[in-house]
Amino acid sequence: MSAPHVIVIGAGSTGAATAHDLALRGYRVTVLERGEIANQTTGRNHCLLHSGGRYCVKDQESAIECIDENLILRRIMPDALELNDGLFVALTEEDLAFKEKFIAGCEECHIPFREIPVKRALELEPFLNPKLLAAVQVPDGVFEPWRFCLAFLATAKKNGAVVRTFTEVTDLIRSGSSITGVKVVDHRTGKTEVIGADIVVNATGPWAGEIARMGGVDVPVAPTAGVMVTVNRRLNNMVINRMNKPSDGDIVVPQRTTSIIGTTSWTILDPDQIDIPPDHIQMMIAKGKELIPAIEHTVTRGVGAAARPLIRKANADEREISRTFECFDHKYDGVEGFVTISGGKTTTARAMAEKVTDIVGQKLGISVECRTKETPLLSYRYFYN
Amino acid sequence: MAIEVPVRMFRYKAGGEPRFETYRVTVPDDANVIDVIEMVWRQDTTLMYRHACHHASCGTCAVRINGYEKLPCIVPVKEALRGRSEITIEPLRNFPLVGDLVVDVAGFFQKQIASGLVITRPAEATLDGARYQPVEVFNESGGLEARPYNRFENCIECGICISACPTMAATDKFFGPAGLAGIHRALQTTDDAQKKSLLLALADGEHGVWRCHSAWECTEACPQNVRPAEAIMALRRELIIHKVKTLFGMGARR
Repeated sequence: MSAPHVIVIGAGSTGAATAHDLALRGYRVTVLERGEIANQTTGRNHCLLHSGGRYCVKDQESAIECIDENLILRRIMPDALELNDGLFVALTEEDLAFKEKFIAGCEECHIPFREIPVKRALELEPFLNPKLLAAVQVPDGVFEPWRFCLAFLATAKKNGAVVRTFTEVTDLIRSGSSITGVKVVDHRTGKTEVIGADIVVNATGPWAGEIARMGGVDVPVAPTAGVMVTVNRRLNNMVINRMNKPSDGDIVVPQRTTSIIGTTSWTILDPDQIDIPPDHIQMMIAKGKELIPAIEHTVTRGVGAAARPLIRKANADEREISRTFECFDHKYDGVEGFVTISGGKTTTARAMAEKVTDIVGQKLGISVECRTKETPLLSYRYFYN
Repeated sequence: MAIEVPVRMFRYKAGGEPRFETYRVTVPDDANVIDVIEMVWRQDTTLMYRHACHHASCGTCAVRINGYEKLPCIVPVKEALRGRSEITIEPLRNFPLVGDLVVDVAGFFQKQIASGLVITRPAEATLDGARYQPVEVFNESGGLEARPYNRFENCIECGICISACPTMAATDKFFGPAGLAGIHRALQTTDDAQKKSLLLALADGEHGVWRCHSAWECTEACPQNVRPAEAIMALRRELIIHKVKTLFGMGARR
């Protein structure tokens, strides 16, 4: 008997990591992505390999996921990472008052940290605001989102997975109470076809609600947009975070020859229709200058916005929604053969993949251990080999 | 403020005929050309285009804007419209065409694998070039270790230099500006004599540096200031010195 066939919809970080885990556990895997790899939420994210520091006070479950996965990714991902740590800096008395909570949060979430003297922080990062009052170093890192996904997909392909980009799922095929496949349009040719599957995994992030509706079920995803402004100089090597609860424009991530200021947060209805409010760009630059005044002397190089796939909770402000992830087995909605994985972060993609692949196994009565924690990934370039 | 932009867009689907189609989209006046392409896609979701990061790091979105190879994510619409009434957008040349603005980059990445370019390099303290001393950073076990800061290489593997290269237009077997620049960088960053020897042989080969017509279009077009043409000339000098030395028995081994 040949291995069960699993279709993964979406080739952002969640879909890419899921394809890898499924292929490694012996499933036949087809990844369907309507555009380029990582063309939306993952591609346009902040490139931050989270240490968990950002969430260690208000969202500890997510913070622990982040530090665990951060250390795993450092072991399995051969390239696509800049690893220079991050600094949480206090600029005001209010920030300074947060330091005790921040350090307690790091300890509770087992995030390695060390406070470094202000003078040393300024030696390490000469463009930091010289008024800083305190600095704590944590193992933040930086990834290149597109290559991050390619590393997972390259390895999945080596293990037999088929990755089809520019292939858009337009409907789910239902037989009785089961999803048995998908209908797609291949944008290369404009032709439609039906692809059968034992299980369909919906890994479409903020589009998860839209795909779920094709299967007649509801997924509580709240697409929440955020803006990133990239300037034409690399002004820092460590990720510079404001030592306070997450807010707009409180982080500057260095990448390649640039620095990226982020981010804002607003709820949107349709993740395909994100219009950046004009004041957000100016606000990012103004807030970024509080951390790194030299941003004043840079030129904006690129501006992007994409939707985060936050899992909706009743009456919660979008900044308060946990960044953790959820896996929905739609058998509880009366639909077999269909699973949704959403929420989470690119940093936690491997853990999300492990969870959803475990559920696929349970549904099919197959018990194979997850090995992604200790399996090195191929270099991203082998996606094309 | 918003501006209306007429766009002349290259369209092609496998089995069909290539053609241009004109769209009119409205974008903020500080938008980049990638936003224009995205607005065209909102009108017609059959449009195929590659994009991911929108800040010139992934290298996927490269196209030709008004005939010149560019990254639309960092070209302001106002600049693309300067002196003309519409923006023309076409796929890169010298790659197999897949559809619309999408080309097949597989062959390009296979050459990148052969070049052995490591994607990270030591970071500068500032872009003026000064290097950091080793610093204490956390490692994969959560302990501290001393090493210099690193950053991603300048080359984003966007394929712009391949599209701009006249030699590439003549033969797709040419190793290409990005690949040869990658070999040059890889030679600078390795002390492994055997690896150096293999890289030099690749540069010296039938499809290596001697094929280049010295048009310097790659350096002109590169959005990341990688200067592939200078790298190719440096490799030629290195190979000549090596050959002279070998001729006079001063370095029999590569």
